[in-house]
Amino acid sequence: MSSSIPPSVTTLIEELSELPGIGRKTAARLTYFLLRGRSDLALRLAQALQDLSERTRFCSICYNITEADPCPVCADQARDHATICVVEGPLDVLAIEQADVYRGVYHVLHGVLAPSQGIFAEDLRISELTARAREGEVEEIILATNPTSEGDWTASYLLSRLESLNMRITRLGRGLPMGGDLEYADAVTLTRALERREQV
Amino acid sequence: MLIRYLSLTNFRNYARLELTLPDRPVLLYGGNAQGKTSLLEAIFLLAAGSSPLASSDRELIRWQAEADGLPYARVWAELERDGRRMELDIALEKHTLSNGHTRLQKTIRVNRAQRRQSDLSGKLNVVLFTPQSVDLVSGAPAGRRRYMDDALCQVHAAYSEALERYAKALRQRNAVLRHVRDEGGNPAQLAPFEGTLAHNGVIIARQRHSFLDALSRHARAVHEKLTGNDEWLRLDYLPSFDAAAPPASRNEMGIRLDEEWTSRSDVGLEDLVEAYRQALVARRPREIARGMTTLGPHRDEIHFIASSPTLGTHEVDLGTYGSRGQQRTAVLSVKLAELQWMREETNETPVLLLDEVLAELDRRRRAYLQEQVNSVEQAILTATDPEMFNAGFVERATTLEVKGGIVQSG
Ligand SMILES: [Zn+2]
Repeated sequence: MSSSIPPSVTTLIEELSELPGIGRKTAARLTYFLLRGRSDLALRLAQALQDLSERTRFCSICYNITEADPCPVCADQARDHATICVVEGPLDVLAIEQADVYRGVYHVLHGVLAPSQGIFAEDLRISELTARAREGEVEEIILATNPTSEGDWTASYLLSRLESLNMRITRLGRGLPMGGDLEYADAVTLTRALERREQV
Repeated sequence: MLIRYLSLTNFRNYARLELTLPDRPVLLYGGNAQGKTSLLEAIFLLAAGSSPLASSDRELIRWQAEADGLPYARVWAELERDGRRMELDIALEKHTLSNGHTRLQKTIRVNRAQRRQSDLSGKLNVVLFTPQSVDLVSGAPAGRRRYMDDALCQVHAAYSEALERYAKALRQRNAVLRHVRDEGGNPAQLAPFEGTLAHNGVIIARQRHSFLDALSRHARAVHEKLTGNDEWLRLDYLPSFDAAAPPASRNEMGIRLDEEWTSRSDVGLEDLVEAYRQALVARRPREIARGMTTLGPHRDEIHFIASSPTLGTHEVDLGTYGSRGQQRTAVLSVKLAELQWMREETNETPVLLLDEVLAELDRRRRAYLQEQVNSVEQAILTATDPEMFNAGFVERATTLEVKGGIVQSG
């Protein structure tokens, strides 16, 4: 990049292009948009980013992203704490919560088994899940990883880690299209998939 | 089965080709490196999803298109199968990523709708015979596995799917093996991938087994005719995993047993999968040390065995001990056997693609091959010199001259 551009500009372009789906061109366009902006958008964005990194953390129970620990779901005594729905990421929790049919709690893995991309069981919140299943009064664990090969492999691995414990283990029903993504599923589909969950 | 129309864009040395194909033999002639083989290669690509003559799809994009900053190639054909029309379309596009790496995007369309590679199964079926086909007998084992895959994928979608799943799970399991070895990862995470490998490995092995059985049967009959009953030909399948073998005698090299497990009807599919899975589990310590999976269809082998009834029962492995001439004849027999196998499996005659093969054959073999050409609905042949064919054949055929990536009627 030309030396005629101030370092504060090139730094932001470089940082933005680290984001998924954002190439150098888009990063540069976003940066110049923020520079030209008449409003205080840049400052508000900066504040939001600071809050994001300072105020959010992982819930110490379910590992969802939260500001309060435990998270509102884990802290809610009206929810069914004996049922744990295991999902790949925070966006899956969001999708299921929006469908407004599930009354249990969650466990967020933060990924799926993808060894060829360097993601192994040790990189996911799996030992935290088995510890939780062993300690608490858990009756059912719903494996709600996506219906993709990676999601199925992850569910199969979780099953092998959990089946010695005396509890019901189910897999999300076949309502979801194969290869589909939980976080993009609509409420009706999610509700059906939850209702039709099968023992594995 | 007929290819009615073929269109190429930036494929190999073709900038653009629009070609209507007749329903009688097509004879392409011209000098070397003018595009005769590439035309057959393009047709094979539509049938099997990948080229047997390129190590990567990238090689298929015309270099001039890359130099012009349009790294894009397309092969499009209109077929007629069972009285119905069908369009097949494969586009290859090279993308340069922000980190400077390139990625090849392959888009497959059937009747204009985007599909997966396994959806090409059961659409266009071809048998391709080139001077390089002799490698099937004399070359490395990977070429023989590739040959089985190309033939089976053209016909059976379930095989194609199993192969895709197997390859994906194999990459994952190998990555876990190295993770356990190098980083002390938990070996329990090998299990999910072993389940997928066992399930799909059994599907692949069973299909290969029945394919080779049929191929061996047809090849023997063809070979007798081609050699004037001087030589018998047999194909032996050596699966890497053989569940019929007692564990102690199970050999890593896949020594053939009298009764092969894949054909045993008393062994259920589930039992085979389970035995396979257990064999993978038993190998874990060794395979963690090596960082790779050593059992499965990716290690299968085929042997081409010839014997001469006039010389008693002496059997010869053609891959190791056959003469060049014997190997060539064996490949021709196998290719024509493949033609019959496809006909049996699909109730359609595949399109026969023959690249420069007549020149190498003696009169008897040439006559037999021309007979086969006459028996199929469509055959496309190439030659440097059309004089090589007998006058009657040339009269029936449509002759086209190929020169510098341009095809014109000759
Ligand atoms: Zn929580």
